[in-house]
Order: sequence, then C-alpha cells, then structure tokens
Amino acid sequence: MINFNITIIDQLIQRFQQSKEKAFCINDIYYTYNQLSQRIQAIREILQQNPPSQFKLGLVANDDIDTYASILALWIEGYAYVPLHPLQPIERCLDICEQINCKIILDSSLTSRYNNFKVIKTNLLNDKPFQPSYNKEINEDNLTYILFTSGSTGKPKGVKISRRNIAAFANAFDQTDLHLQSSDRCLQCFDLTFDVSVQSFLMPLLHGACIYTIPHDQIKFSYVAGLIEDHQITFGAMAPSMVRMLKPYFSELYSESFRACILTAEASPLELIQAWHQQCIPKATLYNYYGPTEATIYCTAYKIPIQNVKTYHGIIVIGKPFEGVDILIVDKKNTPVAQGETGEMLLSGDQITTGYWNNKTLDTKAFITLIQSGKRKRYYKTGDLCFSDAEGLIYYKGRKDTQVKINGYRIELGEIEYHVRKFYPESNAVVLTQEKEETIQLCLFIEHTQEDPHPLIEFLRQTLPQYMIPTEVLYLKEFPLNNNGKTDKNKLQILIK
Amino acid sequence: MVKQTKTSYKSSLSKNNMERESIIKKLQSIIAKVVKLENVKLTEESTANDVKGWDSLSHIAIIAQIEESFDIKFKLRELAKLKKVGSIIDLIIKKQN
Repeated sequence: MINFNITIIDQLIQRFQQSKEKAFCINDIYYTYNQLSQRIQAIREILQQNPPSQFKLGLVANDDIDTYASILALWIEGYAYVPLHPLQPIERCLDICEQINCKIILDSSLTSRYNNFKVIKTNLLNDKPFQPSYNKEINEDNLTYILFTSGSTGKPKGVKISRRNIAAFANAFDQTDLHLQSSDRCLQCFDLTFDVSVQSFLMPLLHGACIYTIPHDQIKFSYVAGLIEDHQITFGAMAPSMVRMLKPYFSELYSESFRACILTAEASPLELIQAWHQQCIPKATLYNYYGPTEATIYCTAYKIPIQNVKTYHGIIVIGKPFEGVDILIVDKKNTPVAQGETGEMLLSGDQITTGYWNNKTLDTKAFITLIQSGKRKRYYKTGDLCFSDAEGLIYYKGRKDTQVKINGYRIELGEIEYHVRKFYPESNAVVLTQEKEETIQLCLFIEHTQEDPHPLIEFLRQTLPQYMIPTEVLYLKEFPLNNNGKTDKNKLQILIK
Repeated sequence: MVKQTKTSYKSSLSKNNMERESIIKKLQSIIAKVVKLENVKLTEESTANDVKGWDSLSHIAIIAQIEESFDIKFKLRELAKLKKVGSIIDLIIKKQN
C-alpha cells in the first residue's frame, strides 16, 4: 500500500536506527542518521508543546542540518513547509508569507530577517533522543510543501504538494530503473525553493544513503566538481545548465565513482550530455527526467542509451510516464492527437497537485476534467508541447508559449536554437521574441564572445526559411541563471526591452 | 651583508604591495562594471557579501572579466578559492608569473 505514513515516515524512522551511518555532509561536516533524528526530535517537541494553529509554516531555506531536520519534523507532525530563500529579497519572501498568511517561521539563521513573526530558532534547540511514535491519523490530502514559482503576471504563484503526491512520487521513483542503495553518496545541488531538491534529499534518506549539499556562498559548479572527485559521489541530479558551465573544464574533472546521473529541470541537448558522459563520468548511466512542479518533481523517465539516443532537434527524448502517471497529448479542443502529432501534454494521477494556493482563476485555466475510457479524470495542462513515437516515447518540443506565429507562419523557437547550436556546438543559444512596432521579431542570444554574426546568419539561411532568421543577434559571455540553475530567460528578455 | 638582504626584502615587499594595490584598483572597476554600481571599495579582506549585487550569478561574470583583463585562465578547482579579494589577488599574481 502506498501512503505517506508507510512509504515515507516509517521508512525514515527505520533509517534512524542505522545510527552510525552518515546522512548528510554539509560544508565538510558529517551528520549521522542518529544526529539527524535528534535534531528532528528537538523540533518535533517544540511543535508538540505549542501546536501551530496553521498547517503550513515558513522555513528559511538555509544550507544546514537544522533546515533539513525541520522539513522532516514538520512532515512527521503533519505540517507543510513553505521555503523562504535566505538570499532572495526580503520583499519577495514577505510577499509569499503574506499570500499564505504565515504566522510562524522556522529559522536556523543566527539573526533572523523575520522580526514581525513568531520565529522558532531551531539552532538554539538541544538534541533530543528520537521517539518513533507519531500521529498516524493525518489525512493524505494534507500538504507537505507549497513552492512558489514565478508567475507570468509578476506575482509568484504557490503550488500545493500533498502527502499523497509525495508518496506517489517516491513509489514511482523507486520503480524506475535507477536503484539507490545505502552505500550511495548523493549530490543535492538544488535550492530548497526548487522541487528537485526534494528528490535530492528525500530519496537518498529513504534508502539510507549520504547526501552532499552545496553551501550558499560557494560557486556551485566548481564546488560540485570538488564534491564529485573528493567525496566520490555516486549519484546526483543536475540541470544541463550546470553541466554547460562545467564544459570548459571537462578536462579537469574525472570520476569513475559516479554511477547514475539524472539530467532534469530543462531540455537536455544530446551533444553536451554525451560529452559530459564520455569525458567526465564514463562509468555512469545517464537518465533524462522530466516533470513540472505541479506534477511533483518528475513524471517521465528516459534511460539514455550509449548509442541511438532518441532526440528531437538535438534535445533528448523525455521518455515514458512514471508508474501511476497518465499522459495525454491533446489538441486545442483537448482531444487526443494521433501518434506522431504534436499537442499539449496533459498529466493525471496521484502525483498531480490539488491546485494553486488561493488562485481559483489559475486553477480553472490549468486543470480540466476529461472522460477517459468511461471514467472522469482530472488533468493538469502542462503548457508543454510534445509528441509520441511508436514505442510510446515522448518527445519534448518546447513551451506552448514559445511557439509563435510570425506573418501566419508557425515558428518553434527550439528549432532555430537547434540550428544555431550546430554552428556554435560549444555554446548555448536562446531565441526570444520581441514586439516592435506591432510586429514580432526574433532575438537570438548566444553564449559566446562577441563576433561578427554574418557567417552565422548565412549558415541559418541555408536551412531555415527567411521568416525564421533572427532579426537581432546578441552575444553574451555568460548567460544569467535563475535560482533553479536554469537559463534565466526573464533576465535575457529585459536586455531587449 | 645581513642589512643588505633586509633592504632588498623590504623593497620587494613594497613592490609587491604596489602590485597588489594596482590589482585591487583594477578589480574594483571590473566588479563595479559587472554589478552596475558607480564605484566599489574593496580591501584584501572583502568578500562577495560586502558588495551589493555580487552574488553567485554575477560571480561567474566577474571571474570571466578578471580572466579577460589579466589575460589568465583559472582552473575549475581554483574557482572555489576565489571568495576573498586577497585570495583572488594571490592567484592573479601566481598566474601572471
């Protein structure tokens, strides 16, 4: 049976028994499962003594043992966390607190930024021996976390993830080809405000493995390289953007211990990923995992073979649905399209969020109920364009909103980017649109030193119709990244406004 | 003899200090340009936390600018050491020699 108590909490409690095994390595300090459990218990007792009247609490997402212990203590006691990034502007964090009407914040910082809240200073609590009994009556629809992602309206929107969602995810993750073991040393290189972080700490803990985190004051990709070599990392999920930052240094990084690497969070270009595999982590099996926050971390998986990797425009296929996830590819009328035809991906199953925080307008737009084989099913509309092949593999084509029409021609920006990458195989390329004098123009960004764009344009003209040739070309030495480690397209967009 | 050694040590020390001073000045203008501040005041002890806008994102652009203007290339593992202005200067001097 799959439910949060059995799949998550009981498993964790069982791991706390392997007291001397290492659970975390944070800033070069190791914490055993026993130490972790004592920090958890200290926070549980505070929650038990003064039960919060609200089911969700703010959590300052520091990189330390008390922050991770807070998450697990909240889950065991039946509460949800709302991560507040310590390096994000306080105004944005306060806006999130206001949206969820948050009264209590767990904070392990030496000095808290939240003066007008009830702050539980977790770093001041004394260790307590772990008590395995807990309240088993908590509803599966209670929340585990609310993550705020940037909304197109400018105001962040909150995605609610329930106990049922997390249990379904953990169960499905373990049914994929990737099997974690207690001997694994696992990377956690994502901010806690991004959901891949939940996979990166939760799955290793459920299997009794050790998690290696990145201190906030470090240069992520350089520190990750250090961890991979010095601590002989065996498993980790990474964003292709981070791999791209490592690319100029591939000859300086080599690991035979890395056995399984998940690429996720954005489209995975084949050439980059193959170079990463061959030059740096030759013993590893690589996987491409896809999933929007609304469908709990990942919901499709593809084991990348050594040869004959399936791609579309140089982007690796996202594979087949996770166990328990139902995928439909539909046209504008929400009618399923034929195999091979492009449509929007809809997702259904226990991993799908119950909706956005206090946002009925968005809920109505994002979720629909369809009758499938005589049954009513609720689907999340991802806004991602995909098609499937005869084997049932799903190919990612791009965001619905990156498909633009210029002079009546339907243009997929990913296709232009693909051809630019052929000209600049070492560089990242992003095409954005810009409205100028009521016409839509194509603006191309290339991560490369400044040079004359004419040879590139000539090259593009050989393969692309005139209406797909970028009207503006900008060279940037480094692309800006957002907090999730993805190319920050909003920042790029500002450059052309 | 002993005296002479001391003097030459002293003069090389002051030459060294001058070199560090001029590197700091160059770093100030590089960082100011990247984080879009009018001017940035740095000491050997300054870290990213002391400069508004010097975060993990701009750090990469700052490093790229330093590499370009000093015509040096940092190694991957060296990037992790570039957190304090003093250590940035140490590495620049080491790389230039």
